[in-house]
Amino acid sequence: MNSLRLIRQSLFHYWRWHLGVLLGGALGTAVLVGALIVGDSVRGSLREQAYARLARVTHAVIGNDRFVREDLARLTSAKAGVPVEPAVILPGVAVRADGTARANRIQVLGVRPAFFSLSPDGKAIGPELDDEVWFNQSLAVQLNAKTGDTVVLRIAKPSLLSRDAPLSPADDTAVALRLKISRVLDDQSFGRFSFQASQIPPLNAFVKLSLLQNRAGVTNQANILVAMAEGRGTNLAEALRAEFRPADAGLRLLTTVTHETELRSSRVFIDPPIAELVRKSGLPAKPILTYFANEMRVGTNTTPYSMATAINTAPVPVGLKDDEIILNQWTADDLHAKAGDPLTIAYYVVGPMRQLVEQKSDFRVHSIIPMTGPGADRDLMPDFPGMSGAENCRDWDTGFPIKTDAIRDKDEAYWKQYRGTPKAFVNLATGQRMWGNRFGDLTAFRFEAPLAEVEQKLSSQLDPTLLGLAFVDVRAQATAASTQGLDFGQYFIGFSFFLIGSALLLMGLLLRFGLEQRRTEMGVLLALGWKSKSVRNLLLREGTILGVIGALVGALSGWLYAKAMLLGLSTVWSEAVAAQTISLHVEPASVISGAISGVVLTFLVTFWSVRKAASRPARELLQETGETDLPAKQSKRRWLLPAWVCLTGLGALAQGLSEFMGGKGADPETFFGAGGSLLLCGIAAIAWILRSTSAGKHSSTPTLWSLSWRGIARRRGRSQAVVALIACGVFLIASLGVFRLDAARDADVRTSGTGGFQLVGESALPVIQDLDSAGGREAFNLNAGTLTNVSIVHLRLREGDDASCLNLNRAQRPRLLGVNPNELARRGSFSIAETHSKTTNSPWVLLDQSLPNGDIPVIGDANSIQYALGSSVGGTIPYPDEHGRTVQLRIVGSVANSILQGGLIMSERNFTTLFPTESGYRFFLVDVAGTATIPSRLTDVSTHLAKGLQDLGLEITLAVARLNAFNAVQNTYLGTFQLLGGLGLILGTLGLGVVVMRHVLERRGELGVLQAIGFEQRSLRALVLGEHALLLVMGLVVGIASAGLAVMPVVLAPGGKPPGLSLWLTLLAVAAFGIGSAWLATRYALRGSVVEALREE
Amino acid sequence: MPSTQGLLRVQQVTKQFASASGEVLEILKGVDLDLERGESVAILGPSGCGKSTLLNLIGTLDRPTSGSIQLAGRDLAPLDDLALAALRNREIGFIFQMHHLLPHLTVLENVLIPTMPLSDAKIREAAVQRARPLLERVGLGSRIDEKPGTLSGGERQRAAVVRALINQPALLLADEPTGALDRASSETLTQLLLQLNREESLGMIVVTHSIDLARKMSRVIELRDGRVIPAQVA
Repeated sequence: MNSLRLIRQSLFHYWRWHLGVLLGGALGTAVLVGALIVGDSVRGSLREQAYARLARVTHAVIGNDRFVREDLARLTSAKAGVPVEPAVILPGVAVRADGTARANRIQVLGVRPAFFSLSPDGKAIGPELDDEVWFNQSLAVQLNAKTGDTVVLRIAKPSLLSRDAPLSPADDTAVALRLKISRVLDDQSFGRFSFQASQIPPLNAFVKLSLLQNRAGVTNQANILVAMAEGRGTNLAEALRAEFRPADAGLRLLTTVTHETELRSSRVFIDPPIAELVRKSGLPAKPILTYFANEMRVGTNTTPYSMATAINTAPVPVGLKDDEIILNQWTADDLHAKAGDPLTIAYYVVGPMRQLVEQKSDFRVHSIIPMTGPGADRDLMPDFPGMSGAENCRDWDTGFPIKTDAIRDKDEAYWKQYRGTPKAFVNLATGQRMWGNRFGDLTAFRFEAPLAEVEQKLSSQLDPTLLGLAFVDVRAQATAASTQGLDFGQYFIGFSFFLIGSALLLMGLLLRFGLEQRRTEMGVLLALGWKSKSVRNLLLREGTILGVIGALVGALSGWLYAKAMLLGLSTVWSEAVAAQTISLHVEPASVISGAISGVVLTFLVTFWSVRKAASRPARELLQETGETDLPAKQSKRRWLLPAWVCLTGLGALAQGLSEFMGGKGADPETFFGAGGSLLLCGIAAIAWILRSTSAGKHSSTPTLWSLSWRGIARRRGRSQAVVALIACGVFLIASLGVFRLDAARDADVRTSGTGGFQLVGESALPVIQDLDSAGGREAFNLNAGTLTNVSIVHLRLREGDDASCLNLNRAQRPRLLGVNPNELARRGSFSIAETHSKTTNSPWVLLDQSLPNGDIPVIGDANSIQYALGSSVGGTIPYPDEHGRTVQLRIVGSVANSILQGGLIMSERNFTTLFPTESGYRFFLVDVAGTATIPSRLTDVSTHLAKGLQDLGLEITLAVARLNAFNAVQNTYLGTFQLLGGLGLILGTLGLGVVVMRHVLERRGELGVLQAIGFEQRSLRALVLGEHALLLVMGLVVGIASAGLAVMPVVLAPGGKPPGLSLWLTLLAVAAFGIGSAWLATRYALRGSVVEALREE
Repeated sequence: MPSTQGLLRVQQVTKQFASASGEVLEILKGVDLDLERGESVAILGPSGCGKSTLLNLIGTLDRPTSGSIQLAGRDLAPLDDLALAALRNREIGFIFQMHHLLPHLTVLENVLIPTMPLSDAKIREAAVQRARPLLERVGLGSRIDEKPGTLSGGERQRAAVVRALINQPALLLADEPTGALDRASSETLTQLLLQLNREESLGMIVVTHSIDLARKMSRVIELRDGRVIPAQVA
């Protein structure tokens, strides 16, 4: 005889109990494993999607508005020994030729067939005709287009000079392509290609590379290089560095009329990192800044539209003072100026919202230089787009209005003869102070050295990373995004908490009950000299074996639960995953860890059950009777806590009602508190009634009802526990409705999630005008009448990963918004949930503060920060700026549940510093006053704006709708929790059956007496069932009443609805299952003749 | 021959319980009892007089409020629960009114249950060798592989007796051993107990309501109101 045999015999002998225990453990583990498999499935699906969007692409140079030579791809490929493909990606808008459908914010990709060799299916075939376009499925669906249909693509034409610069042409920002769809790509053929981590497929249109290059004005250039370099990323970086030439940085070297070598930038202003590199290159260089002056005035004489140069070498002498200016002879003649005359120069500077701010500076004429040598150096003028190639001044296409009538014939003659030869010269420091801007403060460098030498020297020192051009390990980013995203496994463990808890509770109850039945066995073992520890270990091992078997069964059947959950995610809970399909993925690690967790949980339940049962002394265990009925202990202070809770709850209710009656609206938290208090009061009241019944000493004529009631009161603790458990479960599940988010609630209040804005707009192409100004509205033919009392907050946008709860991936580089903080502070828009540092002003002002170490302050939506970025207020997020330098974005505040989800917000000043060439505004918060009185106004404004800016792909959504789209995710989570919690509660009611059985078997003797003295079996069943049905009903009533009070704000809100049918069905099921399990347990426990129990006693 | 060495000495043992209302109930009020090896004592008394309580105290299932209990000259008071369990396992055999056999084990397995806590494998093996003759001796030789459910009440109680003896205890404690048996079975069990008492030189204490059983013991005491008084069994 050994303990193993003893355990084996016991397992078989008590198989009915053990089966119940095993099933409880199996169910708990199955739910646990299933939840983890849901996590696997979401991760696996995201991984698949990540593969679909990048496939064999491992690294990429993403230039955005920076273009390199197309040939750089070939050279890098040859050097690194890995395939590298050039491509052009531009944002755009797609419209059906018949105008019946449009898609904003698409990405147009110019590619070569070899690009598709990196796709999942690896077939190197691509669009090769100049009139064809390949759509991906999402775009085809959105446009309701098919192969053979004609569409118009409007793409943003890259601008070398930021559109924000006053000298940048305002027109010619987009180009339209009329193309025929020749193929619709699926995911296997790179339909999903995108660098942004999102489970929502992009809208992709693929065209022939050369077509896009030519039409966009970037012939033989590319802003994307994609590479397949498994484990050879270092080679790529080195190869790119080696093959990188000045041309790839937008630099051009030329020999000037003065026989010097000049370095220019196609972006007009030389990027500051390049300027720094030149200064440190060891080459003697002359920095030059040439700018456009609107006017030069001496007294009443003026010269319009001239170039002026800031330089520290000839013709500017050493020691030229800051207020001194040198004129060339032509200008001096024109102005009738002579040395010593005062001169005023007027010029535009970059103002906010691309406003043309004209500034003036006063000088004194230092000297006049002849129209020869430096005085006739036309190469000092940089390649201003729209100007350099113009034959006449009147043909200039600048970004600001030219007063053509101010241009005289002599000006045209000067242009013809001298082109952009500067008419005035100042020292460099003065020029930089006047004309330096975020794009740079130099337009050229001149070298004495020959061109070839300069080129060789610069090429050897030029580092593409200075301009943010580097091969990024996009595969690693994609992997990180998919694996670090929202852990649905944990979510579903949380949602399934009630189910797991109920299964384990059921298991524990069955185990405890089984042990109760075997208490004499334990007593005998103790009496025979077994140590209590040995007895406990024996039972523990027995329970553990059951737990392990249960956990194994559960682990193997967990996928069934996962399948059910995935079905839910593809149907009723689809909003939680942005309606994307999640396919089943099972990771062995999840099954194993789930099974181990199941074993541990079942072991803990077993330990808890056994420890309590085996801790009783042998003499107690050997007694035939169960627990002794003890009279209630009386404590004078026992009502203090319940009374305090009830009073607090009443106070909260009174406050809530008074606020509601006062028209303030019902505060959810107040009512939830009142509901919680009512719950505790209800439970306390039932405890009081049971205690009074138990302690009562007056006799009365017994009835079946009074016997039932006394029966409940007799096992007071157990009865209270049953009522409290059911009431709490019902309250928790039913009252969750109060946390459902409704964007319409207080939508017009500025501190709400809409910020008091009615519309939100996002455009595919940047808007460089101020839509609040008459000029801006005029540019888009917007009707001033329709837009009366409409104000718009403009935000800059840097594309990145969507950091909203709609994206299941972890945002690696979230999209950034740049705003003038005063705009939001002045309005008091949005509620700041938390700030990093205290401020008496509006928290938005924190965006303008200077932080140590050059950190950039940002504010984000609280949900975005916590879930999409996995960070918190005070945390930092490393982010590369436009020049490839990594800056730390410090989160200084969070906004509560708002339409700003999806990105981080920084001050416009910081935004333009970090991303100087990111043009215009693409995100708009629109405040439409008067919508309450004229409801149609919102539609009118929305339609008008969308139509006016349709070429820029402006998409307008209702702020409430946008917020509700975000809210839908949280609401779906609540719904999931309610449903699974309801199932858990139903399962928990099965535990009531176990309680019934335990209760009846303990009382078999007295029930035998009742039968012996004439009670029918039927009456005994009614007695027992009545007792437990009463407990169930009490629990339900207390729970429902408390939850009813808690959800009052939702019901009372305008358009509020009472709890849905599913909740009532859940509660009905709880009642039905509870009574059903009690009935079955009663039948089972009272089977046969209970009179036999008398003989045993 | 019974040994003359004192096996059990109970001196001025009291036992108090606190009722739920806080009242102290004194069940035993200074009980003295001596028992020699080979001696058998019957304890009589009305229900609630403390018979089972005294048996539990002697059997180390409970501890006295005051007084001392010595088994084979060893004071039980300083022993911790583990030592008491070991002592109970080696030195004391229990027979209950209900047999308390484990229903899922065979007769032989039930009998061997007390050997499981023994650490010495040889002693355990010897116990196995001893079990069969003992079971044959009580008339269960042909039923050793049966489950308790198939045995009669008397047979179950005899199996319980063998279980109590398997570790060759010095002291056998029986609480109403014949209480749940019919007359014939009761008589058979009584004879068995007496025989074992003689042949195994066991000390035996039997708590009973049965005067017939009590008369067959070498000594009879009566408990009344928590005190030992001279028994009137003639």
